[in-house]
Amino acid sequence: MTETVRVSRALESLRLRSQEAALGLILALPPFLVLILLIVYPAIEAFTFSLGQVPTDNAAFSTGMHLIVSPTPTLEVYRQLFASSFFQADLSLTFTVTFLSVVLILIVSYVLALYVRFGSGGLVSIVRSLYLIPMFVPVVIASYALITFYVDHGLLQALLSQVGMGYSSPIYKMLGIVIGEVWTNIPFAVLLLGSGLDGLPQEMVEAAQDAGAGFFSVLFRIVVPLNLVPAMIVVTFSFIGVLGSFTIPYLLGPNAPQMLGVAMQAYFISYQQPQPAVAMAVITFLLAAIAGAVYVWATARSGKAV
Amino acid sequence: MSATRRRFLQYGTFSVLSVGAAALLAACSSAAPPSPTAPPAAPTSAPTAAASVQPTVAATTVAQAAPTVASSAPTVAPAVTTAAKATGPVTINHYLSGDVNIRDLWSKTLLPAYQKVNPSVTINVTFSEHGTGDATTFDRIAAAKQAGKPSGVDSWETGNYLLQGGQAGLIEKLSPEQIPNLAKVPSAVIGQYDSYGVPYRGSSVVLAYNSKEVSNPPKTLDDLLKWIKNNPGKFTYNPPDTGGSGAAFVTRVLMMGIPDSDLKLFQTGYDQSKESEWDKGWATLKDLNSAIYNNGFYPKGNVPVLQTLGKDAISVAPVWSDQGLQYLNQKLLPPEVKLLQIDPPFSGGGAFIGVIADSQNKSAVYAWLNWVLTPEPQQMIIDTIQGYPGLDWQYMPDAVRQKFADIAKNFSFGFSAKFSSDMNQQWYEKVAGTPPPKKS
Repeated sequence: MTETVRVSRALESLRLRSQEAALGLILALPPFLVLILLIVYPAIEAFTFSLGQVPTDNAAFSTGMHLIVSPTPTLEVYRQLFASSFFQADLSLTFTVTFLSVVLILIVSYVLALYVRFGSGGLVSIVRSLYLIPMFVPVVIASYALITFYVDHGLLQALLSQVGMGYSSPIYKMLGIVIGEVWTNIPFAVLLLGSGLDGLPQEMVEAAQDAGAGFFSVLFRIVVPLNLVPAMIVVTFSFIGVLGSFTIPYLLGPNAPQMLGVAMQAYFISYQQPQPAVAMAVITFLLAAIAGAVYVWATARSGKAV
Repeated sequence: MSATRRRFLQYGTFSVLSVGAAALLAACSSAAPPSPTAPPAAPTSAPTAAASVQPTVAATTVAQAAPTVASSAPTVAPAVTTAAKATGPVTINHYLSGDVNIRDLWSKTLLPAYQKVNPSVTINVTFSEHGTGDATTFDRIAAAKQAGKPSGVDSWETGNYLLQGGQAGLIEKLSPEQIPNLAKVPSAVIGQYDSYGVPYRGSSVVLAYNSKEVSNPPKTLDDLLKWIKNNPGKFTYNPPDTGGSGAAFVTRVLMMGIPDSDLKLFQTGYDQSKESEWDKGWATLKDLNSAIYNNGFYPKGNVPVLQTLGKDAISVAPVWSDQGLQYLNQKLLPPEVKLLQIDPPFSGGGAFIGVIADSQNKSAVYAWLNWVLTPEPQQMIIDTIQGYPGLDWQYMPDAVRQKFADIAKNFSFGFSAKFSSDMNQQWYEKVAGTPPPKKS
């Protein structure tokens, strides 16, 4: 008799749990539907448009210039895009800026996070508030502020000329974009790395120091390996953000070549060519998806998600 | 405890789903009301509850409900088609694309003046700076036409989209029958957009120069190009897709290689094979690269170029006549800066307002546009933004014609929309970018 009671109780709890699970799924359905309708479906239509299937009911796509129309899916748009030396220049600029920015973001925010975690004194609390400032400044305002500071005959040149140093402005060149991207991504990166560092057991560090380890040994043999997952997350998020960014490259970058975000806007609006623009968007998405896959792998390994 | 919690979750889910479904259904059905009074009752109550749970879906339903309620109201009131003014409160949804000085012209000067003339008409202006929202507006009108429902847009001040939309059946073709004062507008200007818009004002690009630094300004295109090469670093212009002043300069240089017989095709039609005639112009512009300000730096927009001129970093630049005069008035440019029109002249043209084909308030829009083409508002346009009047010069008082004597000479017309798009792309490739290595 106890057997049947136990079985019926187990079945009862299973039924309750699956009902609650179903309820949870239903509650999660509306935003999922919005995602499918407003993002996934148009993305699929855009992707087929880049393969040469021009939708007749889409005025913006069908009135584009230099359209490649094909009854069967074709990679002609991508072939022409990759054959164009201007797109190659845009792509290489995008990669250069992205890798440089990600490396600099990682280094600068790691230094700041380490200082705030292991430093002492009044300066620590000042730095703790300072690195959050870029989060509260709108990107457009920050871009114009950077321009005013770094441009020729700007503030920095005035200060340097007092000391007698020469100066060539990085603004409106590739380095200008890197400076802007690093500046705006610092708060997010420092917060993420800082939270990772907070989870570091202080006893481990002290034990290592008692055993005679120097600063760099502690850093590279204890701190960095234990903080690998937050660092991975910072790298992937910064990569995806800088890869597709528009405002900073548009305001701070050179006239040509352009980063992919600016080039997409130019092709779609200024040149009235939506097809190459959509193809570029697909390429950007694929590159970002690779970074996203790395992020998923990193968080799945550690078992925690952000 | 688990029973009550589960029941709470069940009731919560079902109420959220039913309210959301009701909001969606109400929004979809209220767009084409058989009787205008029934649908507004549903959307007014549903979105307030739905808004707290599904902000993204509610935003579209509320936005769709509002203009349809507004535009469905006048159909109840008897529409007077013969009189110039519409009776009953009317709301016109006007979409405006351009620079901020135009937005201020409308919101601070023209619209309050029209409010006094015709208090029953309210004009809602939706502003899209430099046309960033234009593609969305175009999509919206096209989608509404396809769905057979009113788009909620009554009039639209924009550029090439009027011609593109007119050819797609989205914009109304206008004539003096609907707007009597159109007869007083030069037909060449109306023809720029094939009668799909009312040119209510105009301006042209002129050459601005600092008279203190440039005692003998160049008056022809060849002189200007020579001057730029002889005075490196003192001239710049903006990329053609970021502003009309740079576009006019590039157009003028490209026209050097176009024979007169092909000019009409470039201004109104499209033929990609003819773009080889641009090669001479591109070579000239590429050659100028080293003499441009800051070793080839092109500020991105009309206003950045004016600001560079105002900072005294450059001495000569192409600028819009109305923006240049406005900046001089506001002391944003030093008083030594003067404007002149070169020979052959830079392009200019009208600023057009188009009427959307499915507008529900056409008679009110026609009355309003007719009013804009009368001397008082035209004088306001001249006084506020230093624009050229849309009316032919002969209908304006002598004082106006005197004031614009130096720059109101003929202006040329720019390229058609498709040629302009190709020009934008080729500028980036042939002038700003590095050319591809020659295939041996």
